[in-house]
Amino acid sequence: MSQINTKDVDIKLLAGAVLGIGIGIAGLLIGLSNGDNAPFLGWLWGGSFWLSIAIGLLMLVMIFRVFNSRWSPVVRRQQEHGLVVFPWLGLCFLPLLLVALFGHENAGILWSWINPDSPTVDGITVAGDVLHQKKAGYLNLYFFSIRLIFYFAVFSGLAYWMRKVSFSQDIDGDPKWTHLGMKISAVGIPATALSLTFGAFDLFMSLEYQWFSTMYGVWFFASGMRSALAITILGCLYLCKQGSLKGIYKQAHQYDLACLSLAFTVFWAYISFSQYFLIYSANIPEETFWYNIREINPNTGETSAWFWVSMGLIFGHFFFPFLYLLFYKNKINGARITFIAIWILAFHLLDLYWNIIPGREIVPGAYVGYEARPVVGPHLFWGLASLIGIGCLCARVVIKSFNSQIAEVVPVRDPRILDSLNHHE
Amino acid sequence: MDIKYGLAATFNSAKEIYDAAGKVREEGYKEWECYTPIPVHGLDAQMGVGRSKVPCFTLLGGITGFCTGMLIVWFMNAYDYPLIVGGKPYFSPIYPFPVFYELTILFAAFGTLFGMFFLNRLPRHNHPVFEHPSFGRTGDDKYMIVIEIEDPKFDDEETKDFLKSVGGKSITMIREPIDS
Repeated sequence: MSQINTKDVDIKLLAGAVLGIGIGIAGLLIGLSNGDNAPFLGWLWGGSFWLSIAIGLLMLVMIFRVFNSRWSPVVRRQQEHGLVVFPWLGLCFLPLLLVALFGHENAGILWSWINPDSPTVDGITVAGDVLHQKKAGYLNLYFFSIRLIFYFAVFSGLAYWMRKVSFSQDIDGDPKWTHLGMKISAVGIPATALSLTFGAFDLFMSLEYQWFSTMYGVWFFASGMRSALAITILGCLYLCKQGSLKGIYKQAHQYDLACLSLAFTVFWAYISFSQYFLIYSANIPEETFWYNIREINPNTGETSAWFWVSMGLIFGHFFFPFLYLLFYKNKINGARITFIAIWILAFHLLDLYWNIIPGREIVPGAYVGYEARPVVGPHLFWGLASLIGIGCLCARVVIKSFNSQIAEVVPVRDPRILDSLNHHE
Repeated sequence: MDIKYGLAATFNSAKEIYDAAGKVREEGYKEWECYTPIPVHGLDAQMGVGRSKVPCFTLLGGITGFCTGMLIVWFMNAYDYPLIVGGKPYFSPIYPFPVFYELTILFAAFGTLFGMFFLNRLPRHNHPVFEHPSFGRTGDDKYMIVIEIEDPKFDDEETKDFLKSVGGKSITMIREPIDS
């Protein structure tokens, strides 16, 4: 069985994790003491990037299972190693929940609706805002806490079972594991879909609790799938170079993963545009402000820096990858696909940033009573620290899973393994 | 009256025709074709056939559709009969996007279908290889290579010997009947 890394990589990842998470946690404590929400936004952004990838991987593994797909087992095994991160990500999101539960006057530091006394941009408090009163049956702290715990329980439980059915089959070769995996996936796909949808509502959409969009969960799903496919491609190409998958991961696998990337690029654009399009057409102030603060300075009406981020997403996160991935050679050439996979991950990070950061900050003297949070600010610093810290932690546990003797490089006793090894365009 | 179309050689298995196809390609023949009862994976590459050009037509169709959609909306709503609908601008790339999008898909599909017809030279009602007495068996249990007389390297005797040397059986000259 192949091993990925040498000892010093492990030490570097550990150092990165300790340093990044250490800075992030220190930021949370500083933020908590002086009521600054920048470290919290940063932490949410950094953690969500890895969470979205992990959710995408979980969905892909279950989709491969439920369709009994022939080509995928070689690729699926690598994704199963990635699923090990869920309990760790749950731990990383725990501080946000703890602050919400036990933060007293700062409980609403990240999600303002948690504290009924939080002022709103309309000059009243959350408790007095009819837009919160009507949603209080859903947006209340206890239900919210139960939901967050439930989401991570669903993700971690399904991830555990997806790994268990696959790794157990390596040992005894019993086809019952394949059937069990299919059954769990059939239940797991809707469970994950609901969890990630409401998770996106709770984690990101409720940052501006007055705003609402039913497309939001699907947007998060599409983003997660795109980034999970990008990570899968990068991981498989790395394992080819390193030797474990050399001659096993073929051009046909590469081509299919790239085709899926193209499909989800279109899907992401479809969902993101539809959300914009419907809000633009309906033209209701409760919805349009969300896009306004991402385009203009609400006080002066001038184009703000967020406008260029928005344009960057349209052209960088859709048009360029779309046109690039249309071409066959760009899908199969290792260097070219590596480039676009990294590109997609980078723009996915920007997409999350664009969704999480630009909230309305109350500024008493301002014309509309608030200002949009700027593109560059302390939240970026705290966010990058959390991103690197949580990323190193995730990378470390995934590599540990790969290096442990828990499973073969490919699922050697999967009933579909021959089809997958001989997969052909 | 008839004219020669090409030399046909049959093979009994996918492996035989796969190996033979490689040799035909190496020999430098250009105008030739394989006929098989089942899809043989990798035969295209072995024959030296490149990827299909149909995607170019799809892309062209898509771009045409997108521009047509824009033109329709601009002409109708902003140029020929300017009309304010729902407080939206006369022309903008946002509110009529579904029109651009639908026409992109429609024209891309047309491009794909008609591009495929064009490249395959369809519709076509008959083909000279149908004159081969056992051509029907290439839909059943035989594999066939036909080297056309149009090929610059084609020579009645040499090509016949060559097909024999790569393992071809029952080598036959296909003759295309013409009205006189």
